Amino acid sequence: MIRKTIKKEIKELFRDGRVRISIFIVLLLLGVAVWISSRQYQNTNQDYAAARLSEREVWDNQGEKNPHSAAHYGTYAFKPKYPLSLVDQGVDKYAGTSIFLEAHKRNEAQFSAATDQTGLSRFGDLTPDFILLFIMPLFIVLLGYNSFTKERELGTHSLLKSAGARGWKIVLGKWIALFLPVLAITTSLLLLAGIVLSNLPDYGVFQWSSLVAMGLVYLLYYAVFTNLVLWVSHWAKRSGISLVVSLSLWIVACLAAPKAASNIAEARHPYPTRQEFAANVLKDKEAGLDGHNPWNKEAKLLEEQVLAEHGVDSLHQLPFNFNAYRMQKGEEHEAEVYFKQYNYLKEQYQKQSGTYRSLALLSPFLPARFLSMGIAHTDYATHWDFSDAAENYRIATQKFLNDNTAQNTKYGERGYKASADFWKQLPAFDYDPPGLDKVLENNSSNLMILGMWTVLSFILLFISTKKI
Amino acid sequence: MIITNNLTKKYGDFTALDQLELSVKEGDIYCLLGANGAGKTTTINLLLGFIQPTSGSAFINQLKVEENPLETKRFLAYIPENLMLYPSLSAVENLDYFSGIGGKSLNKSQLEGFLEEAGLQSGAFHKRIESFSKGMRQKVGIAIALAKDAKVLLLDEPTSGLDPKASNEFGHLLQKLRGKGVATLMATHDLFRAKEVATHIGIMKDGHLKQQFVASDISLSQLEKTYLETMDYKTLVS
Repeated sequence: MIRKTIKKEIKELFRDGRVRISIFIVLLLLGVAVWISSRQYQNTNQDYAAARLSEREVWDNQGEKNPHSAAHYGTYAFKPKYPLSLVDQGVDKYAGTSIFLEAHKRNEAQFSAATDQTGLSRFGDLTPDFILLFIMPLFIVLLGYNSFTKERELGTHSLLKSAGARGWKIVLGKWIALFLPVLAITTSLLLLAGIVLSNLPDYGVFQWSSLVAMGLVYLLYYAVFTNLVLWVSHWAKRSGISLVVSLSLWIVACLAAPKAASNIAEARHPYPTRQEFAANVLKDKEAGLDGHNPWNKEAKLLEEQVLAEHGVDSLHQLPFNFNAYRMQKGEEHEAEVYFKQYNYLKEQYQKQSGTYRSLALLSPFLPARFLSMGIAHTDYATHWDFSDAAENYRIATQKFLNDNTAQNTKYGERGYKASADFWKQLPAFDYDPPGLDKVLENNSSNLMILGMWTVLSFILLFISTKKI
Repeated sequence: MIITNNLTKKYGDFTALDQLELSVKEGDIYCLLGANGAGKTTTINLLLGFIQPTSGSAFINQLKVEENPLETKRFLAYIPENLMLYPSLSAVENLDYFSGIGGKSLNKSQLEGFLEEAGLQSGAFHKRIESFSKGMRQKVGIAIALAKDAKVLLLDEPTSGLDPKASNEFGHLLQKLRGKGVATLMATHDLFRAKEVATHIGIMKDGHLKQQFVASDISLSQLEKTYLETMDYKTLVS
């Protein structure tokens, strides 16, 4: 019975001109979106590779130079575009691609793609995630809104009821028939993306397991929509009503809820303004050691402490250059200040994410969106992780440079220059994003909420349609 | 095959069907006559289990409908006044689906055989239903009953809107099913067709079964007279 219903529904769907046109449009959009994204992915990563190589060459070829001058001269940490960003670009466009690493200061990522675009970019880009997150649920609405109402409108409902068909079997048949085209399109898209990524220069680590995980997330998301659309169709008396209610659900779930969640999260847990943030950093910095200023209170305290530790009376008697040592201690203090202030931002981000998660109970879009971005490494969590990794590298670099000065000079000695080959000893910045296991672990609540949506919507559908 | 005992259906204070006692045996064609609102369709809906009785009970093949809603449907086929099928599917595909959900898995030649037996022209087997007339759709409905090997056939005004030829063909199909032992209950306004095909005739009014006859015991004119009298249309009779 289930197989017969699937066969019948599929035949009806594909003999309907509107459905054929819808499928053609979705496939065309997907093809174009994958092509555009793969071009962007290639171009960005070519730029990334060239910039990374060029910046390293500049660093390695500084010649003889004072290490602290090199620290101020700085270098860049570049964020690569990860393979699955081809499918879901997430917040990449707004998050910045490179961080300038210099002495005394933690900088934010800059050169985001959005800053290079005009106001027209507000209209958004045609990307696979746009199709997957917004268009596919709409496609489900268009395909399924009259699944049950047509039976009543055609008059086949009474014949179905009199045939002795079990309600759940008819519902399951209709469910599978509606889900099959969605499954076919999603699988085709992800397969296409996988083939494209497997054949492109691999700048990140492309793993089929991540692509499969992403596919499963989207399929769960579509299962929820399929359940809701069929439930509405069963409940509604006419196809027109079913279409309006299903479209309203789509608008609330995909358009209104994410924007409302964003506003609510921002209102409940606001980020400080840039001015406030800069003022807080400055205040904390001034309350501690300034590596450049040997006369401030903390520098004098450090001096006394170090002399006591080494049992000497003069800085000249120390086995290292105290100026460089103080500089390093100053760096460590500044790093603590930045970690504290950035941790506050991170806490706010975590609280905002928590608010989002609680509002995800209102829309399956939110957990699906977060999971998709997480798996694609294009979410804010990955950006924070990259930013922290860059900061740790900056701190390690400053220590590398200050230690060199401390070990190779005496207190009061000026004009020291490290040798030309010294710079090459600094390991290159290399960032590995969290693996799939870690991403799923971090997004366990999103997985749980999406799973809950799926289970509850199935229960709702099958309980309410027990009798056809 | 079909038995009702004191079958009653009330909607609030309104009694749609009042203590109906009916028995349709194997090979019988029982025609229920009556004006709109007499309780004919309510009787059929109760036998189908679409609505629940207020009191009394209905049996199909000795199974109580209320307690065995799915099991009783295995034995019956139903053709409503306006049999609607899936317009984008062909006659064969519709028959395949409806016999399939009734639990029968038939191959193409079997399906075509049932359509042929139901009197549908072979050229129409693979045409979409959207181009079918009502008479052709009724034939597909009969084919569904044949394919299902139904023991009971419930018909609700099946000949209304059919031209005389199609109505006549439909009557012949019912006779064919009668020969197979199918118990048929047909609600109709069509006295002529009822007299033509029925073995038994009942006249309903305001939810009551007022009169019952063996069809062969009464002429068409007597039937017409009795019907009009039962309906209180005495002025027209004279």
